[in-house]
Parts: sequence; C-alpha cells; structure tokens
Amino acid sequence: MKSTTMSTRGRWAAVAALGAAAALALSACAPPGSAEPSATQEPGATGTLKVGYISPITGNFAIAGQEMVDGWNLYWEVNGNEVNGVTVETIVEDDAGNPEMSLTKAKKLVESDGVDVIVGPLLANTALAVAAYTSSVGIPNLHPVAAADDLTQRQANDLTVRTGSMSGSQMNYPGGVWAAEEGHKTAVTLCPDYAFGWESCAGFVQGFESEGGEVVAQYWFPNGTSDFSTYVSQIQSAGADIAFVATAGGAPGPDFLRSFLGLGLGESQPLLMNCCSMDQATLRALGAEIEGFNSVSYWAEGRESDAVEEFSAAYAAKFDGKIPSANVAGGYQTAALVAKVLEEHGLLTGAELVDAITSYTFEDSIFGRVSFDDYNNTVGPVHIREVQERDGAFYNVPIRTFEDVDQWLGKDPADVLAQEPYSQSFQG
Amino acid sequence: MTRSRIVGLALLGALLVVALALPYLGTTSYVISLVSTILIAAILASSVNFLVGDGGMASLGHGAIAAAAAYGAGWASKMGMDPGMQVVIAMGVTLVVSLVYGLLSMRTSGIYFLMVTLAVGMVVFGLAYRLSAVTGGENGITGIQRPAFIGEYWTYYYFLVAAFVLTTLLLWTVSRSPFGSSLRGIRDSETRMRSLGYSVAGYKLGAFMISGTVAGFAGLLSVWHTHFVSPSSAGVHRSVLLIVMVILGGVGTVLGPLVGAAVVVLVENVLSNEIERWPTILGLIFILVILFARAGIVGSIAKLAAKLTRRSTSRSPGGGSPPGTPVSDRNHTAS
Repeated sequence: MKSTTMSTRGRWAAVAALGAAAALALSACAPPGSAEPSATQEPGATGTLKVGYISPITGNFAIAGQEMVDGWNLYWEVNGNEVNGVTVETIVEDDAGNPEMSLTKAKKLVESDGVDVIVGPLLANTALAVAAYTSSVGIPNLHPVAAADDLTQRQANDLTVRTGSMSGSQMNYPGGVWAAEEGHKTAVTLCPDYAFGWESCAGFVQGFESEGGEVVAQYWFPNGTSDFSTYVSQIQSAGADIAFVATAGGAPGPDFLRSFLGLGLGESQPLLMNCCSMDQATLRALGAEIEGFNSVSYWAEGRESDAVEEFSAAYAAKFDGKIPSANVAGGYQTAALVAKVLEEHGLLTGAELVDAITSYTFEDSIFGRVSFDDYNNTVGPVHIREVQERDGAFYNVPIRTFEDVDQWLGKDPADVLAQEPYSQSFQG
Repeated sequence: MTRSRIVGLALLGALLVVALALPYLGTTSYVISLVSTILIAAILASSVNFLVGDGGMASLGHGAIAAAAAYGAGWASKMGMDPGMQVVIAMGVTLVVSLVYGLLSMRTSGIYFLMVTLAVGMVVFGLAYRLSAVTGGENGITGIQRPAFIGEYWTYYYFLVAAFVLTTLLLWTVSRSPFGSSLRGIRDSETRMRSLGYSVAGYKLGAFMISGTVAGFAGLLSVWHTHFVSPSSAGVHRSVLLIVMVILGGVGTVLGPLVGAAVVVLVENVLSNEIERWPTILGLIFILVILFARAGIVGSIAKLAAKLTRRSTSRSPGGGSPPGTPVSDRNHTAS
C-alpha cells in the first residue's frame, strides 16, 4: 500500500511537471483569435444592429427585470424592428441580479454572439460591473433603469449612457426644492439603508436645504423590512412639517403606507414619496386610500402627452389593461431613443452610436424633453405627482414639473465628483 | 498499482491535455472565460471539499472568505497599489479572516460549526455592504487589474489551470499526510482522538487555516478574472452554492469540486440562455444526485468502476480484489 502511494505521488508530480512545461511552451505563442480586429461600421449603412439585453428575469428582482424587457420589446412590436433599413435584433439574457453572472452574460453576448450594444442590466453592482467590461472592449452600454449615481459620475466612461432613468440623487432633488417652496420648514426622511437609499435621501435633503429647509431627523430601514410601524412612530414623534420616504420598489412601498395609514397619519402628516414607493404596484394595491398622495419621479404615467398615451395604450392592449411602471417606461424610452438615432443616421455602432445618442435631444419622449450631459446622463423633467382617479384606475398625475434637471444638484460637476460617496453620515 | 488507478491517472492526464489544448481548438475567448470561471469556482469548492471531506466540517462561510480576499485586492487597487501589493494585502486579509473563523469555530462541530461560519460570513457581508468608504458599499469596487504578465485572457487561463493543479495537489498532499489522517480521525470520533492526546481544537484550527488560505487565493483569482467585487460575492447564496458544488461532485473526492463547479457554472451561465427556469433545473439535478447518487457524480462513478473491476477480477482466478481506493473509502461521510 505504501509503495502504491509513493509511486502515485511520483506520477502526480510527473503529470504536474509535464503540465507546467507544456503551459510554458504553449504560452510562448498566442492561440488563434486572441487578437481579433474589430470591424468598424460605415456611417449611413444598412444592416443589422445586434442588441444584447441583460436583465434579472429570475430571482428577487424578476418582476422589475421582466418589466424592463417588456418595455423594450413593446416598442419594437408596435413600431416594427426595422428602422431606416436597419434591422434591430435583440438577444435577451438573464443575470438573476448576480454581478458575476451579469458579467459572464455580457462576455457571452459580446464575444460569442457579436452584439453591437449591450442594454441593461438593472441593479447598481451589476450595472457597474458590466459598464466597466463593455467600455474595455469598445461596446456601448445603455442603461434603461439603473439608478446608481456612480454610473455617470465617479465611474462614468465614454461608452456608457443612462438612457431610461435618472440617478438616485438627481430624481429626488426637485422633491426637496418643491417641499420647501410649499412652505414646509422642517423635514424627516426615511430611506433604505444602502447606496440607492443614501443617494435618494441625499437628493431630497440637498434640494430641501438649498431652499432654506431644515432636516430634523433621518431614519434608515434595512432591506427586507416588512413591518414599518416603528419607523412610522419615529416619523410621528419627529414632528416635522413634511416626511420624505423612499423605497427601491416592490413590497416596502405598500407596507410602509399601510402602517402610515393604519396609525392614522394619512390626514395629519404631509408626505412625499419617491418614484418607486408610489408606483403602479402601490396604486393597484391601495387605490382610493392614497388618492391625493404626492411623490416625485421622472416618470408620470398620468401626464397628458401623445407619447405617453400611445405608449400606455399599447402596453394596456398587450398586458390586460395594466398601466406601465417606470421600469417598463425605461425600456421603452431606450428603444425609442435607439430608433430615433437610427432613423437619423442609419446603422451606427461603437462610439459613433453613443455620440449620436448623447448629442440627440428627444423633444417629445414619454419622459418629456430629454437631452444628455457630458457624462452621458439624462437631463430631463422631474415631476411632483399626485395620485388621481381616472375611469376607475389610479394614476400619478404631475402637478408641478421641473424641466431640465441634471445630476449635479445645483453644484459644479468637479465638486460633486470630488466628494465622498453618499452614506448615512454624508448627505452632501 | 491497480488497473483502476492507471485508468484514473490516464483520465487525469487526458483531462489536463484537453485543458492545455483548449485555447487552440478554435474556442472563442468567451468559452475560455467560462472555463476560467469554472476553474476558479473549482478551487474555491476544493477548499470547502477539504474541510468537509477530511474534517467533517461543513462551512457556510467560505464565499465570504474569498470575498474578503477579493476586497483586500480591490482596496489595494483602489489605493493605486501595484498587483504585488494586492496579493500581499489579499492574503493578509485572508489569514486574519480565516483565523477569526477558525478561533470562533474550532471548539464546535456539526450544526454549531455551520452556524458559526454562517454568522461570521454574515458579518463579512455586512461590512462589505455598510463600510462604504472602504468597500464602495452596494456598488462594490470596479477596475481591479491583474498583473501584466497574465493580462491576456489566454495567459490568465493557463495561469488558472496551473493554479488549479497546484492547489489540488497541495490539498491532496495535506490530506495524505499524518495531519490529514489525524483530521479524519477527529472527523470520525472526536472523543477518541482527544483521549489519545490529540489537540482537537488545534487540528481544526489548522485545517481551517489551510482551507481558508485556498479560499482566499480563489477570491484573489476571481477578482483578477472579473475585475470587480461587490457584496453579493460575500452573500450566503454563494457559500450555499459552494456546498452544492461539493455535494454534486462528491464529498472528499479529488475531482469532485471541478465536476460540481462545472455543473453549477454551466447551468447558471449556459443553460440559462435557453431555459428561463434554470434555477429549477439546478434544484432537480441536486435532488436527483442526493436521491440516486449520494456519493456525488465523481464518487458514484468511482464506486461503479470499482464494482465493475471487482466483478471482472473475481471472474478471472488469481486476481486479488483491489484495495479500496482512498476516493471511495471517504465517501460514506457525505453527510
């Protein structure tokens, strides 16, 4: 037995040595295809624009991920996937909200399927991982929903564009301005305790303070909170003129509101919520109970505009009369933007596609007039919305609109980029 | 040297040749990148496999050890340090974290060991999530570069093949050493080993340090592969998948982690292109393996091969039955 082990060990060593030697020998010459030349496209050409679409279709974020895909597909189904002689072909991949998987899928789409552009993914960490990779291989990356500030700030790159949403602080800044202008002197905030929440609250706080308001208390809830009664009592005891509450979508919005209404604050405590806590899912769940409630977002499904009505009608026709959420709108907006650019220039890829998108001003989009700043982030309207009933359904209808909101919150871009990331202790 | 041994070694050799020739077989860089992912997952799974197979200690915290090393490298990269310092800091963080794990868990076993490693893993996850000044919070750290000499995707692939072979050899050697035997003794009967005068806690701490170091090494390799790290790397989900890989492959087998990692990574990244309900498929594979092949894929094949050999040798007179291979005699501890 002993000798068997010894000789086995000898063989193992031999195999390993052989392997090491072979590895050394092979590494002297690169395998074929390790330095592929990238094809460049003639401007004005026709052909196929291959799009890789990464979204979390399974896992915890499956609903938002599916909506994001639905919006993109809806545009091409309604308008046809051929624009100006260019056929748009989409390959959808699931990343389950996992950044490693997101990155592998991006590599697959670029290196195996040869896509010209990657759209998505959704979550902040997946979006940043994919954006870093796509920029390293010269592929444009469009973001329909991702809200991470850093995507177009500290980690911005020339090939990454936020096409269908705004950054977390940007979309809430006008909420703070509005609250102060409404005559509220003090505010209390409640946001999720991670990057998106810190950014959302930072936006509101800076807007509110810029107009002379004072934030008296800030509370943070961990992800996965379902019982908000303690937070509602804290808001009540803070006794501020207005409460700002943000969630990242899903169950926390309705859960918070049930506690809020249950403890009888609905009449006495003015409240402003963010995009995702007062979205269609919340409106469907609570309906008449929250009629007249205010929120702040770049998306308002109740805005009177031909683009929004056309989009809502198409979505309702396909999905049993449902009203589109911000995630659907982001996917649709990104598709519309790509279509407009192809319409104008013909087939574009790489940096040319990005340049064409970021120099385009989309006058009548579903978000209103949208353009892009030097860091490839959306500059556009933010609405203060109110829940109103229309034909038995509830809509977020704009009651005040801030045009051309950018991501710098009234500061100099260099100062914003130099400050530390937002956290509980740093709100700008 | 028995026949099954020769067959086994021939298979290993063939596998290595295929692995070395892979970039020249017309594969795209994506395929190489996918195999690289499998190799990294296999190294990480090997560290768990060593601890479960020889020590009988199932850890739910190894994903977090790897993530801690990855964060060490990421932080060094963010501070503008060169790859050499990244290695030093990553391995330093690994040793500290493994020591904390080891000291907290060395007097426990079974379900209590599981809970302690789970808890420490949650602490690492919490720190990654909340200590945003260092870790970048939810966004993580991006733009981490590996050393220039393995900068190309295919040179890195060869580096990973070598790393996998070396860590597998290292763990195999440790497992065959007197230390490994003592560890298996502790696994089978702690009280007996203690009454024989062994320092059970010391052995467990040592085993954890070895396993943790390999896990940290895998974390460093992973961050060099993906160029970023975020809190999801430290999540419990990742550690659970590691256990799944080990059980799928076969607890205590040499190549089990590689096979288990290949199954999980391929289902996650390739099957999911075709089938939307890929998590269900992964669950079904896991259930089928538990029901019909308790020894895992590699363990079951080894058992089957041993059975066939025994049948053929018993037919031909004069051939003694082969001694139980180390592979199969360790399988019954797959709990």
